[in-house]
Amino acid sequence: MELNIQPILPEIFICAMACVILVLDLYLKPERRTIAYVLTVMTLLVAAGLYWQDFATGSAVYLNGMFIKDRFSDVVKIAICLLSLLVFVYSREYIKARDLFLSEYFVLGLFAVLGMMVMVSAGHFLALYLGLELLSLSLYAMVAFQRDSSVATEAAMKYFVLGALGSAMLLYGMSIIYGLTGSLDISVVRGIVAAQAAPDNVILVLGLVFILVSLAFKIGAVPFHMWVPDVYHGAPTSSTLFVSTAPKLAGFAIIIRLLVGGLEDLHFMWRDMLIVLAVLSMLLGNLIAIAQTNLKRMLAYSAISHMGFMLLGILAGTPNGYSAGLFYGLVYTFMGLGGFGIVVLLSRAGYEADELDDLRGLNQSHPWYAFLILIFMFSMAGVPPTLGFFAKLSVIQAVIDVELTWLAVIAVLFTVIGAFYYLRVIKLVYFDPPAVAAREISATADLRVLLSANAVALVLLLPMVGPIQEMCTQAIASVVGAF
Amino acid sequence: METIYLLTPLACLVGAIVAGLFGKRIGRTGAHRVTISGVAIAFLLSVIVFVDVMNGNLFNGPVYTWAVSEGTVYQIGFLIDELTAVMMVVVTFVSFMVHIYTIGYMEEDPGYQRFFSYIALFTFSMLMLVMSNNFLQLFFGWEAVGLVSYLLIGFWFKKDTAIAANLKAFLVNRVGDLGFLLGIGGVLYLFGTLDYADVFAAAPDFAGETMPGTETLWMTLICLLLFVGAMGKSAQVPLHVWLPDSMEGPTPISALIHAATMVTAGIFMVARMSPLFELSDTALNFVLVIGAITAFFMALVGLVQNDIKRVIAYSTLSQLGYMTVALGASAYAAGIFHLGTHAFFKALLFLAAGSVIIALHHEQDMRHMGGLRRVMPITWITMIIGTLALIGTPGFSGFFSKDAIIEAVHYSQQPAAKFAHIALTAGTFVTAFYSWRLIFLTFHGEPRDREKFDHAKESPWVVTLPLILLAIPSVIVGWIFVEPMLFGDFFGSSIVVRPEHDTLARLAEHNDPGHGAAWQMVAHGILALPVLLTALGTVLAWIMYIVRPDLPGKLAGRFSAIYKILLNKYGIDEFNEFFFARGGRNIGNFFWRIGDVKLIDGIMVNGTARVVGWVSSVVRHIQTGYVYHYAFAMIIGLFVLMTWFLSS
Amino acid sequence: MTFTQLAFYFFATVLIFAAAMVVSIRNPVKAALFLVLAFFSAACVWITLEAEFLAIVLVLVYVGAVMVLFLFVVMMLDINLARMREGFGEYLPIGGLIAVLMVLEIAIVLTSGGFGEEQFPRPEGHPAGFSDTKELGRLIYTAYVYPFELAAVILLVAIVAAIALTLRKRPDTKYLDPARQVTVKKADRLRVVKMPAEKRADRTTEGEA
Repeated sequence: MELNIQPILPEIFICAMACVILVLDLYLKPERRTIAYVLTVMTLLVAAGLYWQDFATGSAVYLNGMFIKDRFSDVVKIAICLLSLLVFVYSREYIKARDLFLSEYFVLGLFAVLGMMVMVSAGHFLALYLGLELLSLSLYAMVAFQRDSSVATEAAMKYFVLGALGSAMLLYGMSIIYGLTGSLDISVVRGIVAAQAAPDNVILVLGLVFILVSLAFKIGAVPFHMWVPDVYHGAPTSSTLFVSTAPKLAGFAIIIRLLVGGLEDLHFMWRDMLIVLAVLSMLLGNLIAIAQTNLKRMLAYSAISHMGFMLLGILAGTPNGYSAGLFYGLVYTFMGLGGFGIVVLLSRAGYEADELDDLRGLNQSHPWYAFLILIFMFSMAGVPPTLGFFAKLSVIQAVIDVELTWLAVIAVLFTVIGAFYYLRVIKLVYFDPPAVAAREISATADLRVLLSANAVALVLLLPMVGPIQEMCTQAIASVVGAF
Repeated sequence: METIYLLTPLACLVGAIVAGLFGKRIGRTGAHRVTISGVAIAFLLSVIVFVDVMNGNLFNGPVYTWAVSEGTVYQIGFLIDELTAVMMVVVTFVSFMVHIYTIGYMEEDPGYQRFFSYIALFTFSMLMLVMSNNFLQLFFGWEAVGLVSYLLIGFWFKKDTAIAANLKAFLVNRVGDLGFLLGIGGVLYLFGTLDYADVFAAAPDFAGETMPGTETLWMTLICLLLFVGAMGKSAQVPLHVWLPDSMEGPTPISALIHAATMVTAGIFMVARMSPLFELSDTALNFVLVIGAITAFFMALVGLVQNDIKRVIAYSTLSQLGYMTVALGASAYAAGIFHLGTHAFFKALLFLAAGSVIIALHHEQDMRHMGGLRRVMPITWITMIIGTLALIGTPGFSGFFSKDAIIEAVHYSQQPAAKFAHIALTAGTFVTAFYSWRLIFLTFHGEPRDREKFDHAKESPWVVTLPLILLAIPSVIVGWIFVEPMLFGDFFGSSIVVRPEHDTLARLAEHNDPGHGAAWQMVAHGILALPVLLTALGTVLAWIMYIVRPDLPGKLAGRFSAIYKILLNKYGIDEFNEFFFARGGRNIGNFFWRIGDVKLIDGIMVNGTARVVGWVSSVVRHIQTGYVYHYAFAMIIGLFVLMTWFLSS
Repeated sequence: MTFTQLAFYFFATVLIFAAAMVVSIRNPVKAALFLVLAFFSAACVWITLEAEFLAIVLVLVYVGAVMVLFLFVVMMLDINLARMREGFGEYLPIGGLIAVLMVLEIAIVLTSGGFGEEQFPRPEGHPAGFSDTKELGRLIYTAYVYPFELAAVILLVAIVAAIALTLRKRPDTKYLDPARQVTVKKADRLRVVKMPAEKRADRTTEGEA
């Protein structure tokens, strides 16, 4: 049997670089650890370049059906690389100031990226599960990385325990599907499920429920969201940045792989389940966010509601819906990156800047950063002309197209409720008297520039909305069209 | 030609922008140079367009597509035909004159550049209005001239009366604009397009269409609503109240906007919509009645005014009433003709009045004037020419247009025509009286205010030149245009008249063929009732203000009731103040306190916010922080999902 | 009922019993021991499925290594049993109810006929001398090499994470560095000071010294 490792070269590269950095660290003096950081960033950049250079045109399966390479995987992987890269750049000063600037941090990050890549390309239950575990394990460690912080440790503990529970459910669901179909290969499962898909097939329902619950847990949809606020809040903001961005895309990818790639014939079943999850997520996420006084916690609940929105696109069950979901996911991750990026930007050694009150009157001392916050908040609230608006629009259109108008109405309603707490942030920033007399921001130039670019892109990419959506459509087409 | 069309309004716009935004930098001279050259270019181009149109080159087409929504196209476009060409020439000429005049009139005003920017902007807006080929752009121009009018009435924004006047103009015009907008909405609803050509082409097919559930014709509703807009803009009773107050603005504005051009936009619009109005007799009768009331009763109010500008303002109201009546009698051409002649002589009268006002250092009360003919001969003579034109002295431009209207109404078969005919005929007497009263009080007799009289002197050439230039057309345009405009086929297809409504054609039948229509009208008119009444009015004014100056006071005492009614302008302002203003405030207060504060703010807005906040504060306690609670929540979620979908 | 079936049911029962005891018994040491029993029973069940290698590995790795470590930890830590059980009774009724209901539902579903030998025929028994170790090895290094390598990476991450989170230099501990101890020279510790001989000093100065 011949082994074609050509398509997984970028993954091998990431893995190898992680190991290189790990070994290199032995010979690095603490003050020269920047080398590890630079290597990490370069690795992600090169990996993104590799995916770009070998961009898939169709859909192909490698390694005994365990690895799928298609447009979808390449789009999502490039996005994950860029997101992770930005995360590391954003958090460099932050972790330096908190003595977390260790090579292990970057190594864990790279392994997490590797896990996400495996998930995105998973064509097999086993690969999917292992990728997920690789990601989760790295994330647990990253959340707990600030060893001396009891909140961080507590958050990591909760994340770990609940994550284990989620993984167990995923395994159980998969085992039931396996018992029914006799295969772990998703495309084989698809064929058998298609033949057996009937509303009264209770075994399929049972397996589906377990899988769905674990997926909902991974992306943090209500009622499996409990870990999200605690982890986002407790973790060092650098880790929150990481947890809240790229893994969401990976989660979206495995939902597409499992539900669309494998169990699309059960759409009539998982549609209703996803409706429940989506509505609950939007409801609770937006409602509870209002009561928060902590910015990170507020953004965590906001993330929950955004995931509900992303699910809307998926549950539409049409290629349009999936690509709207993908578009939403892409836009959201970059907005969320900016949102937590602001927290990183404003904080400095010994000062977290994660309370809403810390933002008071920021406009008076730093009008440009206040403006960045304005853009991020507007985009999250879905105010035109930001990308966030178009993301919401396309998802709602997809939902209306499948005649779930009531769901669209609910979504819009919750958007309005959600606008409250986003706008409150803007009010704090612009209209309230400053909380601190003189606020110094010790952010480095690269953080300032990239965060500004991140925010401005949410508006300036407007003319590109068409091409980006077209790219999402083609990515989804490569998944749906493979069957 | 398209470039020329586009260039005409844009020349003014550029002037307005430069003078408005860079006024400080280019200075006073720079501001008036740039705007005047803009308007001069516009005037020249308008003349070129006019000549071109006379040669039969019409144009109708889009320039720019603004938006397409559900099949309806929203465009900027030009419709250049005879009607447009006449309006363009009139607007740009009067505007040009006013620009020049302003140099002298506003000389000492600190807002010099701002003023020039505004009037250039006004010219642009007005051109956009008349050149439009669709309702949307018409509405744009409509609102834009309204805006500039608002800005200019309140130009001296530190003067309380000016602010009150511009607010009043704004509010009253809002009423009209609402009707206008509804009318446009009706057009869009019924025809599915806003393009003139499409609407007019389809109009006959919809002539019999009634509104669901009623007997009312769609066309009647649309025309009435559109006419409400015209009533607001062209100051017809009862929406006329803003125009006299608008005299708070600088005099050039009164001449340009509130006499010659903007207020005639309503007349122009109805003439433009003649294909629609022709389809609804109800609407035409309504137009007749409103116009007649305005023409006669506003003239009466002019009798008792003492402010020189207000007299002319009421005269404007009255003349607008004449034009409106012409429209109602389907004599659109006569209406437009009167619009044109009126623009010249009324602008002349205003500018002459302005000249007097400058000479007397912003004294506007005629009771403090008198004998000025000796020191201001040019102003005096030009104003006499304007007055002669206004009262309809045979041979002057106003005579032809006004007489044509009265005759046209005479031949109209509309039920309301009889009333309108009487009102207009009687109006000529009143017009003559108040016009001469103005002249006699201002220029004749002995100076009543010696001190002011001694300082008075003739205005500089920038003021008198426009007077002379305007006096010329006030005399001659009638001779030139009466034949083609009224009896020829001057307006071509731009105005549509149904044969049974064609009063001007009937008027033409009474003219002997072969002789010039102008001569015939003069010959015919000298012995007709309107001219006799005019002469009577003139004589009466001469007796009362020159021969026996004590008579007016006695008469006012004798007929104090009528005098008071007229002085109070029929109490319409008081009625509005009491009924609409206070009533509106009370209703507003009611809705504010009960509806807004309690229901909407209290229950709906704050209530929902409070409920959401409360729910939020309750629900957040789900997040206990205990990991086994979280796990348990997950299990319950799983359990519920499982049970639900297994059982269904 | 064949012997294999009998063995299966026996060990399965023991497995469930042991697992239930793990979560319900109060004493953590006993719980750990029950876990050992559960692993052992699971290994036995696997043997009935002819997965001898996996069964042996389970016993060796989990029972032999992991559980021993675990016991060490449990014994070394001072765990407050009373506090650990706090709230247990409070949540038992509702938790138990849901657990029972879920088990019931799952049981109903799984016995509904979707599984079983009519769906998937029983695989052929292997001939004597069949080495499932060899077979596993062959699969792991061919068809499943990708997940196998991934599993290796996961283990690596676990090691990195464990070390990164626990390895630290505590400034307050006094530990010895043998390497430095060995390299210590006399000169590092002793300073020989030459002084002129003195007369016997007064009592007071001696007391001060």
